[in-house]
Amino acid sequence: MSRIFTSFRFVFHESWPLALRNGSCPSRSPLLRAPPAGLTYVCAAGKKDLLDLPVLNEDEFEEQFVRGSGPGGQATNKTSNCVVLKHIPTGIVVKCHQTRSVEINRKRAREIMREKLDVADKGELSEVLLKKKESVLRKQDKKKKAHENLERKKQFKEALVADSRHGNDTV
Amino acid sequence: MWRRAVSSGYICLQCRRSVAPKARWFSRAERTFCAPVLPAGKITPLQAVDLWRRHFEERGVTEPDHSSQYIIAHLLGAKTIESVEQRKLTEFLSREKTEQIWTLCTQRLSRMPVQYIIEEWDFRDLTLKMRPPVFIPRPETECSLSVLVQELVELVLADLKTATGERADAQHTCLEVGCGSGAISLSLLSCLPQLQAVALDQSQDAVDLTRENALRLGVQDRLQTHHLDVMKDPDVVFSLCSPVSALVSNPPYLFSEDLSSLEPEILKFEDPAALDGGTDGLNVIQQILTMAPKILSNHGRVYLEVDPRHPPLILHWVEANVEELRYVETRHDITGRPRFCILQKRGP
Repeated sequence: MSRIFTSFRFVFHESWPLALRNGSCPSRSPLLRAPPAGLTYVCAAGKKDLLDLPVLNEDEFEEQFVRGSGPGGQATNKTSNCVVLKHIPTGIVVKCHQTRSVEINRKRAREIMREKLDVADKGELSEVLLKKKESVLRKQDKKKKAHENLERKKQFKEALVADSRHGNDTV
Repeated sequence: MWRRAVSSGYICLQCRRSVAPKARWFSRAERTFCAPVLPAGKITPLQAVDLWRRHFEERGVTEPDHSSQYIIAHLLGAKTIESVEQRKLTEFLSREKTEQIWTLCTQRLSRMPVQYIIEEWDFRDLTLKMRPPVFIPRPETECSLSVLVQELVELVLADLKTATGERADAQHTCLEVGCGSGAISLSLLSCLPQLQAVALDQSQDAVDLTRENALRLGVQDRLQTHHLDVMKDPDVVFSLCSPVSALVSNPPYLFSEDLSSLEPEILKFEDPAALDGGTDGLNVIQQILTMAPKILSNHGRVYLEVDPRHPPLILHWVEANVEELRYVETRHDITGRPRFCILQKRGP
């Protein structure tokens, strides 16, 4: 049974939002059906901090690729693979050309979009912002402790020096 | 000193000839011979990117910015210029590195595709070795894989769900016609640990490159490769493997008459046999569809990448000529063009 889930998760991590332009979708097995709230599910399994980010509804997006007007496919060899993803309801636009693969860029654009939508949606309560705040606070805390340690050491040294002088005096 | 205003052209130090920026009257050989000279002083990667972008623009090389960025990033050990450390981009390059940049960028002046110049490219999450004249995978093909992976996963899961002890271990095999660099078969093998693949190509170079990429990815044990031309030896294919769950191909599908208007990147460097589908681009496609019923298991599927004009032609042709196949659907590529045909072998 564990073998199924290893391969399932591995595959599901790789498989990724279908282009739903033509509206048709292959019939899916129950195990792969997306949660009812959205049409696609970005699987974050395996990532250290699993964020509860909004599920994307592909119908709300417009996607553009800088590919030119030619026939494409075998007739063209272009290396540009920038993906531009626009969320129609909010007007938020994400551009991604981080990698040399257009599919990976599409995936990353959606990940970035999810974070942006989360911020837009929840404002200060957004998990993305909360995480950032947390990390800033942690850093501040660390600095404070390091500073306190340094102070303590300084005082200790001064106390030692004062003691030895006092000792000399009494000898 | 090597820099001149575009309007005044520049002196080529190799042949001492003054070259105007858009010298149409010079032969192509003379133009490529006059490669920009190495800078006398040190330059940074950012300066090199900018310099070569301008060189490419002046020479009419397509994608001048991407070309210079990808080549220079590659020589700095990165896949994209964006992933190079900021600090490194503004540090002076060593002489050796500068010379490497000049050598590779000069190749781009001859319109050699970037993928052949840096000898690699990415396909989904795989990095594959590239070598002329083996066909370079196109981005459109990347998205068709998502569909294919989804359906193969369902196939495997369906088997496991209805499993008896025997069925649970059922092997699923995928046959690819025209594997090229191996992009499709190798993507499937790395996505689906249970899958076996058989990959064919009429080009020995392609078969060798697929094999090499399989070894680099560690999936060679689940892959068989064969140097075969399905147009000449269809019968040999039937003996290669027992019925397969999926037959997939990005076959040559261009119309012969369109070949001469292709960009030099394709015309001069890629194998024409990987592109030419005959008068109506359907020669190899029709051969694959004719063979499909003998290769596929019942309900097995064919996945074809085609020219946008093909889907209705294929639908009608199959209805008239290959009774055992049912046309399932047409899928569109990332630019919205009809690009993929899915067909299925009817059951008994």
